[in-house]
Amino acid sequence: MRIRFAGLCLALAIFQTQASERWIFDSRITVTGPPVGAVYHHLDGSGRKHIAVNGESVAVVWEDNRSRAPQIYVTLKLLTQETFPTALSVSSGSEAYEPAIDAISGNRFVLTFEQDASVFARILTVEGLAEPVRLSRAAASHVSIASFGERVFASWREQNNGRWVVKIAALQVTNANRIVVGSIQSVEADGLQTPVLFPAIAVNSAGICVAWEDRRAGHTRLLVSHAEDAGKSFTEPQFLNEFFSNRNQYDRGSGVTRVSLASFGQDEILAAWMDKRRGGKGYGIFAALGADGGENFGPNEKVHGEEGDTQPHYNPATAGNQAGDFVIAWDDFRRGDSDIWISAYNPDLEWSQDYAPPVASGSGEQSHPSIVLDEHNNLHLLWIDRDHLDGPSRLWYSLGRTTQQQ
Amino acid sequence: MQHSTFVRLPIAIVILLTLSIDTLMAAPPEGYRFLSLTEATQLASSENKPMLLYFGRYGCTTCRKMHAEVFSDASLSAKYNTAFVLAYVDTESGNRIKLGNGERTTEMQFATRSRILGTPTFIYFSPEQKPLFKKAGFQTVDQMNLYGDYILENHYQSMPLQEFMARQ
Repeated sequence: MRIRFAGLCLALAIFQTQASERWIFDSRITVTGPPVGAVYHHLDGSGRKHIAVNGESVAVVWEDNRSRAPQIYVTLKLLTQETFPTALSVSSGSEAYEPAIDAISGNRFVLTFEQDASVFARILTVEGLAEPVRLSRAAASHVSIASFGERVFASWREQNNGRWVVKIAALQVTNANRIVVGSIQSVEADGLQTPVLFPAIAVNSAGICVAWEDRRAGHTRLLVSHAEDAGKSFTEPQFLNEFFSNRNQYDRGSGVTRVSLASFGQDEILAAWMDKRRGGKGYGIFAALGADGGENFGPNEKVHGEEGDTQPHYNPATAGNQAGDFVIAWDDFRRGDSDIWISAYNPDLEWSQDYAPPVASGSGEQSHPSIVLDEHNNLHLLWIDRDHLDGPSRLWYSLGRTTQQQ
Repeated sequence: MQHSTFVRLPIAIVILLTLSIDTLMAAPPEGYRFLSLTEATQLASSENKPMLLYFGRYGCTTCRKMHAEVFSDASLSAKYNTAFVLAYVDTESGNRIKLGNGERTTEMQFATRSRILGTPTFIYFSPEQKPLFKKAGFQTVDQMNLYGDYILENHYQSMPLQEFMARQ
């Protein structure tokens, strides 16, 4: 019996050499300072892309109501700096929401946001913000951004004459930090009478991948489409989530929502989303891996582990890098209040045991993670923290330093 | 006097809903005067009426079954359309709402924060806008009628819902 017990301990020890030991997180760094009055921060953009890393610097974008109205703010620091500087104001309309950010060449960042029912893009450098450029031509929202080398693409949803479409714009960024809007395409030529929601986008050497929530079936399903490059047609949308609809005449499948995409390797795509296929347990975190730039996806995979399998999970964020690594973060309240959890593939190519980084868990409500994985496999983590559900909030950042040998 | 195991406070403090462009694509049952959460909260307060808050999901199986087999009942629609103010929240939508603490968030995030695990979930409020009880999953016509009677006949002021239901 003693030998068997020792064997069990060894097995557990081996199993835990996964997400929990992949990164060692530095002390958290405040992004927005202590909670103030009735100021609330939000990281709710399409695809949950609120943090980006570019060589020597990290940039963070979010929405808060410090000016009473919801507006967009950004801050950028050198990785070696221990504090974030005062935030820059990004938006200028009466209301702005749901920003996203990605790194581009030349130690620059491109960010997108919704302002007064239009969507915009702006360049950020250490010198500050360039002028915003409007991307949409009709009522638009749920904008996101992705880049690969010099190729930059924005996605959003637009409603024109009562028809809904997912739009993709190719953006060219000049050396003078001016954005030139190139081709703007609809993923599907014919608009829909039913809404499309929260399109997420990823780009790599094999092309552009976009996934979104689609209600044309009288039920929300995740659809995904691929194009080889700007100006090339997008493929016929394919189902991303597997659904089962045979319980009764009313059943059209389990609920799914809020897909996030990340590119990894040279041409692969990670997709993660909230999925209600577990019935009354609420949303689980499910994922699929795509090859050929998202032209083909493998089977759906359950990400969260057995420990949290009776609990709902929320707000998945994805990250990947060209070295071929990828990771998913989300939040759940399995311990009573909300903590940040992460999972990555283990050496057996299975999702690891869930891991709650100590810097982003414990007392209080830690939620809404956004992540980026740099080329050295360091994991940069951003999240919202509040003492209680209705209280004012703040943003924290922590660098998870890889423990892997380079 | 309240009798309930429920309550997540944020539900009681919603004061304003900013309609976004896909609000009308959510799916409350036909034949009922479901309003946005803002409109419903304001109307219930001004008219001192009880409120039913329905957390639904677009295409949700049990919601569709209840729409076809329960909400289609004429006595139920008469009772609820007349005596209750009705609010609907799409738990997967990006529709923006403003909470009583001044925070603007989406219906989905509101549902998450309210710990709504499944749909449909119904939360009943007294005419004083106090949350009384929560019911999740399929409810029959009889149950929905009794929940209504429990509030409209003021039984909530003197006994728990479970006791009232047991006496029927």
